[in-house]
Amino acid sequence: MIAFRTAFIPAGSKLGKADCSVQEGRIYFMAKGKKTLVAYSFILPSLIGFLIFTFMPIICSLFLSFCEWDSGNPIKFVGIKNFSYMFLKDKSFWISLKNTVYYTALTVPLTMIIALFLAILMNKPLKGRVFFRSVLFFPYVASLVAIAVVWMALFNPEIGPVNSVLRMLGVANPPRWAASTTWAMPTIIGLTVWKEMGYYMIVYLAALQGISKDLYAAASLDGANKWQQFLHVTWPGITPTTFYILMMLMVTTFKSYDIMYITTQGGPGESTKVLAYHIFNQAFVNSKFGYASAVSMILLVIILSATLIQFRFEKKFTSNL
Amino acid sequence: MKKKLIAGIMAVVLAAGLLAGCGGNSSSSESAPPAAEEEAVNQGAPAEPQQADTTEATGEDVTIKVAIWDYSSTEYYKTMFDAFRETYPNIAIEIVEFTSDEYDTVITTQLGGHQDFDVVFMKGTPSLAALINQGHVYALDDLLAGDESFDADAYAGLVDALSLEGHTYALPFRYDNNLLFYNKKLFDDAGVAYPKDGMSMEEYHALAKQMTSGEGNDKVYGALVAQWVGNAYMYAARTEEFVFDDPTTYEALIPYYNEILAMQDEGIIYDYGMLKTSNLHYTGIFYKQQTAMLQMGTWFVNNLFENVQDFEWGVCSMPNNVGMGNENCIGGVTPVSIGAYAKHPAEAWQFIKYVCGEEGAKTLASCGVIPAYSLGAVGEIFDAAPQTYAGAPENLSKYLSCEKKVIEQPMNAKGGEIATVLEEENSAIMTKSVTPEEGVLNMIDRVNAILEE
Repeated sequence: MIAFRTAFIPAGSKLGKADCSVQEGRIYFMAKGKKTLVAYSFILPSLIGFLIFTFMPIICSLFLSFCEWDSGNPIKFVGIKNFSYMFLKDKSFWISLKNTVYYTALTVPLTMIIALFLAILMNKPLKGRVFFRSVLFFPYVASLVAIAVVWMALFNPEIGPVNSVLRMLGVANPPRWAASTTWAMPTIIGLTVWKEMGYYMIVYLAALQGISKDLYAAASLDGANKWQQFLHVTWPGITPTTFYILMMLMVTTFKSYDIMYITTQGGPGESTKVLAYHIFNQAFVNSKFGYASAVSMILLVIILSATLIQFRFEKKFTSNL
Repeated sequence: MKKKLIAGIMAVVLAAGLLAGCGGNSSSSESAPPAAEEEAVNQGAPAEPQQADTTEATGEDVTIKVAIWDYSSTEYYKTMFDAFRETYPNIAIEIVEFTSDEYDTVITTQLGGHQDFDVVFMKGTPSLAALINQGHVYALDDLLAGDESFDADAYAGLVDALSLEGHTYALPFRYDNNLLFYNKKLFDDAGVAYPKDGMSMEEYHALAKQMTSGEGNDKVYGALVAQWVGNAYMYAARTEEFVFDDPTTYEALIPYYNEILAMQDEGIIYDYGMLKTSNLHYTGIFYKQQTAMLQMGTWFVNNLFENVQDFEWGVCSMPNNVGMGNENCIGGVTPVSIGAYAKHPAEAWQFIKYVCGEEGAKTLASCGVIPAYSLGAVGEIFDAAPQTYAGAPENLSKYLSCEKKVIEQPMNAKGGEIATVLEEENSAIMTKSVTPEEGVLNMIDRVNAILEE
């Protein structure tokens, strides 16, 4: 409620004053109760949507994760069988988990560093920066299918321009990119970074422009060089944004399977099979909805704990600012 | 206090939702479709499948729902369905169309939600086996037994091949054989004899090498082995050295893998990784005469009829290491079933019998598509093809009716899972991420794990 009041009742407004003047008694209680109801009625449509389309499926999924169900035959309760199979027998689960961690661990920092670097660059009065901003933002706006096709064509092991250039530079056996178990994941990480960096660049740009110019002026008066200015003015100023980006990116990369589905179908072998892809296969190809739900619960736990840890860190860091 | 109250209300709402939502799933899937009410007691122990309603069609005006893919882009469906309407004016057809790529997934989900499709087309045997296991299609035993006008012999054993545990659930609509297509012009220009039935893999290799010429954009490859796993196991599957759902036979793939990997290394077939990542399609490569030979299913015949005028093409049986000529066909079936939630199963049966029968077969054949129904008239239509289509060969019928029609993926409820594993390991082998021995060993381990489950 505090958030609601500060957000919707501007300090010093009549409503705010009236609220403050009545400190005790029944009238205040009723007014507050009414306001609470009004407030809840505002969030109700969204809450109902969330409960029906997000929360309930999660609960159903939790229930299904202890069952066997193929969408035709009756649901059968099997206890922890799905989980024991997953941890003890399903090698593909472990491979997918490893791939998911690999994918996330590289995609998230790379996207953030490049997005920040570009944002700083675009924040300077460069010639044609509007043009470059649009160019960098384009992959984010374009359809994933389209840019995936372009990326795969660029990195085609036989006739792609990237390998042609590498061969010209004297590399006899350039990497075979998506056609090699070693390089397939880095190729997909590159594609993801290329697609996502534009959006986060814009987010960083907004944060950079929100930092007061006076702070830089003061810092340079104190004799701070560019690096020191970045470290002591820019970085603290954009920390909340960094946390936001970190969280959003982690959640999207942990969940993503569309990129693999379009480009490599999890291959070669199982080298680009991620958890979400494994879940999709188990549910919709193999009709094992119970098992798929169990794997998705594990994915939920991972994402949830990563998010909670970040929340804690964010509080600690931003409170020091 | 208030927080507790709200939390309490939310908990009640959620619990109610859980019961209504999840409970709904279980109760609805436990309830049997109307036609199988009496057998509902046996649900969960599928000893006896639900038989389709065998009462005669009434002749009243009804509309049947037909689930199919690519209807709007496939001409022969419309021709065939129009012809059906002329024979059965009282049966209207409502088409429910889905995209081809996601068809198997979508149809499972739709039937899981008890959609009342009367007729369900399926893309292959794994999909049919899965739907049978989930109870989404009717058994046709009573219909087959009660219908004297139906002749199972006209399908060369394919009706039996579509049965599971002694019950038949579908009729075969199409059957495609896998053949070696070749460009006669390229062979003539090079002065090399055409490929012939019963070549060994070594001969195939040597022939492809002879036919490879040029560099860069002008390069003509000896052969094209398309990137999906079927193209790697089809040689051994045709000779029955390899059986799709029997891991004890998988080792038979190793010599075939060794041969095509060697061909790939020598640059006489298209590189797997390049095909996979470039979205190059075999049709364009063959039309543009960039490959002398192409392993492909007979669905390609229709494309060739329509698109190739400036060179002649021919076909022969796939190479193999046991000297088999044209005795066996190897390919996939397109089955058609009656949905378990059908409102008009009797009319659906009339429809299925028509499209899979002689009339339907003639329509398919006249469009260059190979029907599963294989009586004389069909072969004649294909042998007359050169009169209509400039590049077509004269002996097509020989390759459409073999002594034995082997099914590429035999009926197995876990067929879809097996296919996924084989596809993944094939990509590892063909990109040389593992050796053929390691890859095949992985196939054996993983498929055994699936079968044991």
